Amino acid sequence: MEIRLRILLLTLLLGLAGGLSGCATLRHLFGHDTPPPATAPADEGASTDRSAADDGTPPRVIEPEVERRNVKVPRIKSQDIEVGGYLGTLNIEDFGAHRVYGVQVGYHITEDFFLQAEGGRSKGGYTSFETLSSIQLLTDNERWFKYYDMSVGYNFLPGEVFLGRNHAMTSSFYILAGVGATDFGGDSKFTGNFGAGYKVLPTDWLAVHVAVEDRVFNTDLLGVNKLASNLEAHLGLTVFF
Amino acid sequence: MRAASQNLQVFVRAPYLELHTGPGRGYPVFNVVDRDAAVDVLKRYTDWFKVRGPSGIEGWASAHDMEQTVLADGSHFHYDVGDMNAYTAHRFEAGAFFYGDFGGASAVSLYGAVFANPNLAAELSIGEFLGKASDGNSIDLGLAHIFYPQARLAPFVMLGTGIVHTEPKATLVQPSDRTEQSAYVGGGLRYYLTRRFFLRGEYKEHIIFTNRNQNQQVDEWKFGFAFFF
Repeated sequence: MEIRLRILLLTLLLGLAGGLSGCATLRHLFGHDTPPPATAPADEGASTDRSAADDGTPPRVIEPEVERRNVKVPRIKSQDIEVGGYLGTLNIEDFGAHRVYGVQVGYHITEDFFLQAEGGRSKGGYTSFETLSSIQLLTDNERWFKYYDMSVGYNFLPGEVFLGRNHAMTSSFYILAGVGATDFGGDSKFTGNFGAGYKVLPTDWLAVHVAVEDRVFNTDLLGVNKLASNLEAHLGLTVFF
Repeated sequence: MRAASQNLQVFVRAPYLELHTGPGRGYPVFNVVDRDAAVDVLKRYTDWFKVRGPSGIEGWASAHDMEQTVLADGSHFHYDVGDMNAYTAHRFEAGAFFYGDFGGASAVSLYGAVFANPNLAAELSIGEFLGKASDGNSIDLGLAHIFYPQARLAPFVMLGTGIVHTEPKATLVQPSDRTEQSAYVGGGLRYYLTRRFFLRGEYKEHIIFTNRNQNQQVDEWKFGFAFFF
């Protein structure tokens, strides 16, 4: 009895399954697969090739629409020129030590060599003779000591100066020598100059100089021809650009 | 972004690029930029370039080391430090004569030249002469022709005109200052030293057109140091 009931129920179940064959879960069970996709693209390609062959034109290729970029190389800023001023003391032989001020322009050819031009002025005082005798050897205007020079300089002993633990500034010593002219005592004199200096650069474009230079010329201002040596010490500030 | 576009960007192709603390071989190397990294070139001082590495560290790289980098288009970075070829053919040169003798007076002068071709240049020189008898200034403008510009030691000839301003130093009679036109012919030698430098020595014979009975002839010898760019 029980066996007959089972067979009946199973037969019913099979019959129902056949009726519900549209159900997604049972589709594969009964071989109700979707038809294979049409081969349309392949057919289209074939037809294109055929038409191309008929026209006698080559097949189309992709034309690039990218424009060639013209790379502009930016100019690199140079900092070979140095311009600045200075203030110091000039010891004019026989006429005392007095304040001197001037301007300087430099051109750095290599890391070692540079050309420098300087122009400055100071005003001489009175010789001992003038002070004692109250006789004036020069007029007030003739006491102006005006000079210019052009020199070749050489940097050496490059180094660094440290300010605390976070700041380092590059520094260098230099020597220079050159020629120029000096206007003093109503006469212009061919002048040789030589000296040495020390510079510290707080930034790449700013330099602080301490320099000592001797300016030498032949003079007969006080009656005898002699070589006058005029030592100058100055503090300068220059900008590179 | 804007700052980056304003600077030239190069890429390191050597194993590394050394960064010095200052623009000179004596300043120590404190950092390196690795191969293939991009660096911004900020500025140049003589033969040194200040660069900024990818980590923002800034330092100085030598022109020699910078030759090992490439630009964005793959071409090599090049900076001309000057050589014999540049000495043979360049556009401008300038120099200073540290030794000068102008008719017996000591002279100081400067000159600048513009080249039309490796042989021919237009030159301008200004100078001051300081002598026992007179002081003065001179300006010369003329042409120079260089023979064998490709030779280390090259001779040249000059021809030009100028103005001479003379201030006589007489104590008894006080003659007035005078400004007169002059013409000159001359010749000299140039000797290439290294990089952008050369020595130059020359002789000029000036004829000063005076309003006196005779024109004045002045011999001038000069020796100096010059560079081209």
